[in-house]
Amino acid sequence: MSKRIAIVEDEAAIRENYADVLRSQGYQVQTYANRETATQAFNLRLPNLVILDIGLNEEYDGGFLLCQQLRSQSASLPIIFLTARDNDFDTVSGLRIGADDYLTKDISLPHLTARISALFRRQEALKQPISNAHITRTGSLTIDSQRMTITWQNQAIDLTITEFWLVHALAKHPGHVKNRHQLMTDSKIYVDDSTITSHIKRIRKKFIKFDSSFDCIETVYGMGYRWLSVQNNPQNTHE
Amino acid sequence: MNKKRINLRFGLRTKLLLLSSFLFVIPWFGYQYVWEMEKYLRFGQEQTLVGTARALATALHERENLFNNQASFLPSVEQGKDLYGYQLTEAVQLDGLPKDWPHFSERAHFYNHQQQLFAHQALSLNFKASVGKYDKYLYLFFQVVDDHLVFRGKNSRSIRHNDHLALSFSDQHNNLNRFIISNKKAGWLSAYSISDDEQDIPSPAHKIQGQWLVTPQGYNIELRIPLKSLGEKIAFALYDVDQASAKVHSAVGSANPNKIEDLGTILVPSPEIERIVKGMHYTNSSIWVVDQHHRVLASAGSLKSASGVWHKKNLQPNPEETKSIWFQFKQTVLLPLYYKILTKPAPDFIDKLYDARHLKGGHIDSALRGQGKSQWRLTTDKKALVLSAAYPIYINHKVRGAVIVEETTNGIRTLRNRALEKLFSVILTIMVFGALTFIIFATRISSRIRQLSNQAERAIDHQGRIIGKMSPSKSNDEIGDLSRSFTTAVNRLSEYNHYLENMSSRLSHELRTPIAVVKTSLENLAIQNNQQLLSIDSNDKNAYIQRAQTGVNTLNLILTNMSEATRLEQMLLSTEKITFDLKSVIDGCIAGYQQVYDNINFKLNISLNKLAFYGSPEHIVQLLDKIINNAVEFSQDKLITIELTKHNDKAELFIANNGALLPEQLSERLFDSMVSLRSHYSVDKPEVPHLGLGLYIARLICQFHQGEITAHNHHSPDGVTIKIILPIIT
Repeated sequence: MSKRIAIVEDEAAIRENYADVLRSQGYQVQTYANRETATQAFNLRLPNLVILDIGLNEEYDGGFLLCQQLRSQSASLPIIFLTARDNDFDTVSGLRIGADDYLTKDISLPHLTARISALFRRQEALKQPISNAHITRTGSLTIDSQRMTITWQNQAIDLTITEFWLVHALAKHPGHVKNRHQLMTDSKIYVDDSTITSHIKRIRKKFIKFDSSFDCIETVYGMGYRWLSVQNNPQNTHE
Repeated sequence: MNKKRINLRFGLRTKLLLLSSFLFVIPWFGYQYVWEMEKYLRFGQEQTLVGTARALATALHERENLFNNQASFLPSVEQGKDLYGYQLTEAVQLDGLPKDWPHFSERAHFYNHQQQLFAHQALSLNFKASVGKYDKYLYLFFQVVDDHLVFRGKNSRSIRHNDHLALSFSDQHNNLNRFIISNKKAGWLSAYSISDDEQDIPSPAHKIQGQWLVTPQGYNIELRIPLKSLGEKIAFALYDVDQASAKVHSAVGSANPNKIEDLGTILVPSPEIERIVKGMHYTNSSIWVVDQHHRVLASAGSLKSASGVWHKKNLQPNPEETKSIWFQFKQTVLLPLYYKILTKPAPDFIDKLYDARHLKGGHIDSALRGQGKSQWRLTTDKKALVLSAAYPIYINHKVRGAVIVEETTNGIRTLRNRALEKLFSVILTIMVFGALTFIIFATRISSRIRQLSNQAERAIDHQGRIIGKMSPSKSNDEIGDLSRSFTTAVNRLSEYNHYLENMSSRLSHELRTPIAVVKTSLENLAIQNNQQLLSIDSNDKNAYIQRAQTGVNTLNLILTNMSEATRLEQMLLSTEKITFDLKSVIDGCIAGYQQVYDNINFKLNISLNKLAFYGSPEHIVQLLDKIINNAVEFSQDKLITIELTKHNDKAELFIANNGALLPEQLSERLFDSMVSLRSHYSVDKPEVPHLGLGLYIARLICQFHQGEITAHNHHSPDGVTIKIILPIIT
């Protein structure tokens, strides 16, 4: 059974473009132009994934309201914000009220579909038993690339897809400096440098919430970032 | 050229003070007014004086008996023959010395050969004679120069064969009384009454008393006659004898003393008139009554106390007043100041002496012609101004005399001085208060305007940016209005500026959705094309789609750059500063740039080991990114010099590249939003747009760190240095 994706977007052209590309990927797509019709439909039946715009017609943050509503209906439903608003404040707000990812509209369609399929894959993977084949460990960090989950000192860190990809890209080669462009490519987004900085900051905060002494992501000024593994003593890196 | 000349700057205060200098006209008017007042007072005094003279003359009109003397009816008087008895102020001692005769030399008449009665030999005698009146006596003094003094022989019976004085006068009944003074020795006079008959034995006349004094030149005779026995005619003659018991050889005298017809007249100040005049004594004037021969009949008062009726008003201040601070201040400070301008009437002055025998003056002449007149004259020492008025006295429709009244203007001058003193005090007070008020007012206004101008200058920096807010004035006047409209203008300008600075972000936000439409559509098209690989013209279509996608991506990049500044501003609001080592950040960055721009040679000059800096390292990196990017693009010799120094708690960062210079007019605005020096997109990277936001972002980051960023041209080789000053806050 194909997955059902709901798109809530007031701009008809974009809505249909997204719908078309997703349908071509084999998804079932329902589109809604405003909050009322979307709410009515969601009350009848929840889709498997929701793509939300924040501003819906006259409602400046209708998308946020809808997100809260959906999150109250289902804790596991993947929600993606896809919006023209690229400021930090909206990003933080969107993620805080439970969105799985926050994307700006300049994201390319392949990146979007990659994200959507990743979300579905994660959902599927969570239902399956943990397979060690997909797990890599670096110090206290454990990355399950199939389930797209990260644990730090055996505690699960709740990361968005973008954040997961960022951490994954950094931790894959500890001690190697990744510049921002590499990070953008790895995390399948195309944003400016300061947005990467914001992402890194958010990731650090999420780790620090569980471990106040966390300092594994190092900023290499003028170049980028690198992952420092605690157990990563010089001998290990030489091996 | 003209501009240089009109370089003088007049402040508002100077202008107000200049305008207020017109106030000085007021004291000038006051001064003029007082002078005018003095003129009127003088005129009044003149009238009063003429009035006094007329009043006195009125009292003397038609009182024949007062003028009932022989001389009054003479057409003219002969000096030497017609005598005038000066009023003596003090009793004269009969000692033969002239020292107690006031002004003897001036008042005495000199008798010589012109007055000789007869001379059988050459005249060897002359004398001076003076006549005076004191109380009830007429005094005569003879100062005789004689080569041979011959006294009457001790046993000589004759009284005429020696030097002797013959004195004749008429009595009240116009009978001739003849006397001869003939001494046997110096000392008390021996006077003899003689008659016309030569044979009569002279009888001693005791009513003639006096002293005979021998002097080196000759002898002096001083004598007195009781007034009651004296009529109106008199004559005296000195007979000279040069050998003992010889005959008289010559005689000099006022007139022939032998005949009553030949006698001269004698005029003594009239006690009757004096009594009348004394009544006028209280008018503070000096009064003279003269007969038609200008001879003084009576006088009263002295010019020195005759300062006019106003003099009385010069009251002494009461003792309570003298104790007040104001009075003390006035006495010690103000009055000395005033009297540098004013002249105090001199209480002492020297006036010419009137010859009581013959008062002179145009006004007297005029009065004796029947015309009352007044005249002004200065005293001899020019210290006081004297006003004298004369008025004729009529008897039987003929002018028989005149009344002369004199006063000094000291009274008026004192009055004028007092008026001016008061005027000066008032004016000084008004001027001081006025000037103070003006200065305070002008200072207040100019300070308010200056404050406003400072506020306006602070609100807008020299690059035209609004950097502060103005607080509107609450005062309800024009300056308050100005301040309020300034504030409104600045606030509006500030809003407009903010609108402009945010415009790129708004624009990008508005454009994002339509671009997303284009972009997604193109991508859909591309996906569909990929699925229809078999289509014949798909390659051509793909090329078009790719071009369109490239264009849209560039457009997207532009939009991202446009909103970068706004996003940065928002981000800076929530950025927390930390302490980090500025040197290692810059080191790291330059190392990174060296990798990115591998064809550029970065030359790093940092003499410091460590530079602790409190701020946001990410943003410092962003700042460096922007400036280095800029420098790389403008560098011609592929060399970029970076220098970091510490200077007085300030980190100074210089980033220099050699290349095109900045145009002067743009160097100030270079760090503004949407200002770019690039005339066109750089040739080698046509896909990278330049919006002039890079240096604007650099400025925002500098401002966030309370620093400043400036661009300067440097020469040989030409190029541009960006200077960043960041205060080190720890």
